[in-house]
Amino acid sequence: MTSRERIFAAIRDSLGPRRAAPQAIAAEAAVLLENPQATRPRLAAPDLAEAFALKAKALGTTIDHVPDMAGVPAALRRYLDAQGLPPALALQPAAELAVLNWEGIATHPSLAPDEPVGLGLALWGIAESGSLVIHSGADNPVLLAFLPLHHVVVLRRDRLLPHLEDYAAAVQGAHPPRNAILITGPSGTTDIEGSYVRGAHGPGFLHVLLVGS
Amino acid sequence: MDAPQLAFKERAAAALADGALKIAIDRTTGNAERKRAAAVAAFPEFEAARARGKAIKDHVIAHLDHYLEMFERNATAAGAQVHWAADDAEARAIVTRICLDARAKLVTRSKSMLGEEIGLPHALADAGIERVETDLAEHIIQLAGERPSHIVWPAMHRTREQVAQLFKVGHVPPPAAEDPATMVQSARRELRAKFLGADIGISGANFLVADTGATCTVTNEGNAELTTTPPRVHIVTAGIEKLVPSTAHAFALLRLLVRSATGGEMTQYTTFHHGPRREGDADGPEEMHIVLVDNGRTRMLGDEFRAMLRCIRCGACMNHCVVYRQIGGHAYGGTYPGPMGAVLTPVLDGLAQSRDLAHACTMNGRCAEVCPVGIPLPTLLRAWRTRSWRERLEPGSLRVGLGLWAMVARRPRLYRLASRIGVRALRLMGRRGWVRSLPLAKGWTAYRDMPRPAGRTFMEQYRAEQAGRRAPE
Repeated sequence: MTSRERIFAAIRDSLGPRRAAPQAIAAEAAVLLENPQATRPRLAAPDLAEAFALKAKALGTTIDHVPDMAGVPAALRRYLDAQGLPPALALQPAAELAVLNWEGIATHPSLAPDEPVGLGLALWGIAESGSLVIHSGADNPVLLAFLPLHHVVVLRRDRLLPHLEDYAAAVQGAHPPRNAILITGPSGTTDIEGSYVRGAHGPGFLHVLLVGS
Repeated sequence: MDAPQLAFKERAAAALADGALKIAIDRTTGNAERKRAAAVAAFPEFEAARARGKAIKDHVIAHLDHYLEMFERNATAAGAQVHWAADDAEARAIVTRICLDARAKLVTRSKSMLGEEIGLPHALADAGIERVETDLAEHIIQLAGERPSHIVWPAMHRTREQVAQLFKVGHVPPPAAEDPATMVQSARRELRAKFLGADIGISGANFLVADTGATCTVTNEGNAELTTTPPRVHIVTAGIEKLVPSTAHAFALLRLLVRSATGGEMTQYTTFHHGPRREGDADGPEEMHIVLVDNGRTRMLGDEFRAMLRCIRCGACMNHCVVYRQIGGHAYGGTYPGPMGAVLTPVLDGLAQSRDLAHACTMNGRCAEVCPVGIPLPTLLRAWRTRSWRERLEPGSLRVGLGLWAMVARRPRLYRLASRIGVRALRLMGRRGWVRSLPLAKGWTAYRDMPRPAGRTFMEQYRAEQAGRRAPE
């Protein structure tokens, strides 16, 4: 008997012989998600962008409002200047970013171990928690969100979702990426005497360019 | 895993005598308690969410075989290799074999209590593989050669001065100052090269999502993703109770987990890992292995400890436990400390070695009040006391004493006579209103005085009262 068989035999032994059909189990699981508003927090503001910004800022994320995608390079330049950083960054190899005019900013696709700045695109923003969602893929290395000290994320207003379940619904049935990552504030730790320090391993700075009006 | 050298009482006494430890525990648990209370107050739906969280876990436990099969099917379809371990030894053997097959020299590990439970750190050392703990707290205790003292803050027993000493010796170059920010920077620099140079990354899982086959990790530091992305191989070790039906169910539990653990609403990084690197992917490991561990869990499914399988490892029970807050985590002697540890340790290490843990509980019920999935921890601890009695693990003096008391208590006349004698004897022992020392109860009276009792027993006074009422008729 393999360990797998032993484990299943022990489970069936404990749970008894009369077992529900898969459809009945699925129906029971669906009931546990009904009426979600009764068991989740309300949004911090009625407007999605406002709610998202309130939550994100509370965690130390900074936000800049940009009218359209064409304004992203200038907004990034503003951030780099304000932080006293040179105009250079690791850029996510995404088509939506590649078409922008990066004149005056040196972009590179590779990531140094101590990369100062990385810029990427969020697929969604979640208003409930101020979270950004990224998916790994050919055009999105996971490490872009973790190696740089400054992580700058472009989020389109029309990609804002109210709640965590809305993200689950948005990807339901789609083939999931290797990594789906919800980023909620810059990296932090409270492991030394409970004092909060940013930039533990991941980015110490998270800056969102919220695009659209 | 190190076998505890001392008995529980000796470990607890040593912890109580450690003033620095008490300060460190108060700081972290006090903070955690305040932050959790604020997070719950800001979430009026918390009670309803808790009832739902409990129902989700109960649903999964009732259909565990169904969801395990579903998870295995979907994880395999995503390209992961699923392994099954009946116990800790088998889990260690599976992980070690994967490491040796991959000719791994350097392994990074993202904090996982299951990894501690199965004794992974020692197994890797025995196999000659360098292991680097990447969670900051785990990094601290690895430098100190210790085990975690809390399931969320493993290094909470260490003061900043002690951490500074460890980093001074362990980091090249040593940190320039002793403030937490400088020390965190130093660890960031020290560990960056390890992340990028590792052959294998090992993580645990906070959830196993059945309908996608994904494993989910939550961290605040970002060390899980840095552990699981650069190496050639990603290994997940997880208990079979970590299953949830879907991503949406995971979110429902995540809201409870984070608020109960740290008082936050979301951890900084919540990541679903779904198989190895895809064709064309910019990064990620070539292999993903998931080791599903039983190690006593199927046994709990069939006995009075089934409710413990709901546990989502938030640590709220220990943050609110009056005993944990006096003695800290190491005194418990097992992988898991506090109330949840006192329930789990007898499952993992045997009741004979750990029966003291259930007795150390005051039954004040605070752990059950704050448990986000409604585990009746005091009831489960009482169940261990009952078992310990039935299995005749209690010391002979206690058995004789309780047997004697039970015999007297079942005979009212004898009981009244005994209490009449007892009350009078206690009055003779008392001085100025207090009894300072009791024979057979020196341990109790060492720290307390007992009030000198009234001159007569309750029954004597009651009878006299009744007689007095009847008298005027």
